[in-house]
Amino acid sequence: MKNEFDNDPAVMLETLNLSKRYEDGVLALDNLSFCVKAGEIFAMLGGNGAGKTTTLNLFLNFIEPTEGEARINGFTTHTDPLRAKEYVSFVSENVILYENFTAIQNLDFFTRIGGKTDYSSDDYRDVLRRVGLADDAHNKRLKQFSKGMRQKCGIAIAILKDAPAILLDEPTSGLDPRAGREFIKLLDSLRGEGKAILMSTHDIFRAKEIADTIAFLDNGHIVMQKNASEIAGKDLVDLYMQYMAGHSAEPANTVEV
Amino acid sequence: MLKVLIEKELREVFGSLKFTITFGACAILVILSFYMGASNYSFSHAQYEAAKAQNLKQMEGLTDWASLQNHRIFLPPQPLAALVNGVSNDIGRTIMVEGRGELTAEDSRYNDDPIFAIFRFLDLDFIFGTILSLFAILLGYNSISGEKEQGTLRLALANAIPRTRYILAKLISSAIALVLPLLIAILIGCLILVILRIPFSGEDWLTLILIIITGLLYACVFLTLSIFISALTHRSSNSFLLVLTIWIFGALIVPRASVLLASRTVKVPSVDETTAQKSRYSSQLFKEDKTKMSQFKPSDIDDPEIMVDEFNRFMENIADERDEKMNRFAERINEERSNKLRERQKLSLALARISPTTSMTLAVTTLAGTSLMLKNHYRDEAARYQKSYGDFMKEKAGMNPGGHVMRIKMMMDDEEEPEQINPSELPVFNYKKASVFSAAKTASLDLLFLVIYILLFLTGSFWAFGKYDLR
Repeated sequence: MKNEFDNDPAVMLETLNLSKRYEDGVLALDNLSFCVKAGEIFAMLGGNGAGKTTTLNLFLNFIEPTEGEARINGFTTHTDPLRAKEYVSFVSENVILYENFTAIQNLDFFTRIGGKTDYSSDDYRDVLRRVGLADDAHNKRLKQFSKGMRQKCGIAIAILKDAPAILLDEPTSGLDPRAGREFIKLLDSLRGEGKAILMSTHDIFRAKEIADTIAFLDNGHIVMQKNASEIAGKDLVDLYMQYMAGHSAEPANTVEV
Repeated sequence: MLKVLIEKELREVFGSLKFTITFGACAILVILSFYMGASNYSFSHAQYEAAKAQNLKQMEGLTDWASLQNHRIFLPPQPLAALVNGVSNDIGRTIMVEGRGELTAEDSRYNDDPIFAIFRFLDLDFIFGTILSLFAILLGYNSISGEKEQGTLRLALANAIPRTRYILAKLISSAIALVLPLLIAILIGCLILVILRIPFSGEDWLTLILIIITGLLYACVFLTLSIFISALTHRSSNSFLLVLTIWIFGALIVPRASVLLASRTVKVPSVDETTAQKSRYSSQLFKEDKTKMSQFKPSDIDDPEIMVDEFNRFMENIADERDEKMNRFAERINEERSNKLRERQKLSLALARISPTTSMTLAVTTLAGTSLMLKNHYRDEAARYQKSYGDFMKEKAGMNPGGHVMRIKMMMDDEEEPEQINPSELPVFNYKKASVFSAAKTASLDLLFLVIYILLFLTGSFWAFGKYDLR
């Protein structure tokens, strides 16, 4: 399946007419097409059941598409999942790592299965410091960690894998304002390194703050896709009410921004 | 990659409190079973030696081999039987040998100490069948569903790891976590056997290794089953419940239900019934013999010595004839009963082998020489001894004294005091158990069943995990 992005080497993540219908008949995604380029942050927003997590699951080949395809660095995820996953890191909504392992041990395991085997303990510590985890927490077991600290570990794992694309599932949910701010800074620096970042989120305000592109999903469709700079701060509440608080969506071309 | 995954699994398992507690309990029980087995063997051996000495002592002072009564042989305690009891405590250990007639084993261990019949001994069959299988379930029930619940499975499989490799790592590491620590406990148990000087021959050690392999294979059946179920479910509580239910059916219900079902399907005459039949026939033969006895006519009534000699020969002939008839009758009755019993046993085992627990129990008891065959084997060995005993008595006393032979002995006033018999001349009962090779051959079918179960659940685990929904 060819499309306009096929010849653009900067495109790291793309969906092409991606559809997913579950066994119970629910159409979770309907003909979804978008792309995320290197050095770009793409935020998917939408209410529950809009299709955000389904999209991430399709990128990770956790489920197979009914039609269309998802690609990572040009590799179709459901036909060549192992090659595709070499180019992506994933940070889940609730980063729950191995409770009985320390932060360093968790990092060591996940980076090694991510294909990086030449990191030393000092490298792990440096990355943990970079994501804002204090030194005294490095050798603590994860069961003693708060949600924010776990999230930092998850990001550290993604950084260590050093994949050109990063998938983030509700990365700021449950973080306190300070941790949220630190997280945004971190994403900004990752973008600066040329990573293509696709994040699903409910947090329209943070999405506006950090994303380059914002797409609103509803019932498996992109109902609105804009550059974040095109969305005025004053419209955020309206957009939130319209697309995320359960109100029926109007067609994308009628939305005023 | 596989190494990294296995290392992680082992670190996670060994570092968990669940493992420490379950393995600790399991190791203590394994070591305890070896210690108790060794102690029981020493106790049984002392009892056996005392019984043998007592048997010879009761012969002291006898001057005529023909007057020897109550000669008993005893089933020697086997070191392996102390570790895998099987039926060794249920069957009679003592057999009275008379030279002819049916042999009946009496005085079972459970008959002596009925308390053990209720609570049983802590042997390897129990440890493997109950404790080890539960330990395997605890190791495997949440291996996939637990990681799904935690969220770590999604995170791990977001990397370029083939699912087959991931599940293979789970299977290998769980097997290592199950087998390695247990081998340490078993080695300590073996050391106890050496320290307590339990006389293990080279063949016994080889058999013990085969028994341990069987136990570990059985544990692996439940381990692979747990991982398979874990890959079919999305909640560890559901997989635990499901595996536990299968375990209850497999380990506890199926073997018992199979025996009950078979006993309802194939009717076998009870021992009491056959004994009553034999007894009736025996009375009938005695009545016939009474008539024959009245027909005794000595060739020379003036010579008492000739008369007594002729009478004894006459009576022995009657006894031989009666014995032959009785044996034929008993053989027929016994054969009919044992054919029915065999039929029932065959059906019971065919049904019970649905459960891997049955296969494991049959394999380890066969290897240890304490299977269902022990009773017949002991009786065959005793029958062989009885024949040599009968020949010995014929040589020493001029007749085989067994089977209620009426015999007259003339005592002369001027006769010299006869010499005492020497009981050590009696043939010695040498019980020979089946060799390890023939036992292994018999047990191979059940070992094959265990391997088939493992392969089945392994395949199931790969298949289920390949389709596992990671949403």
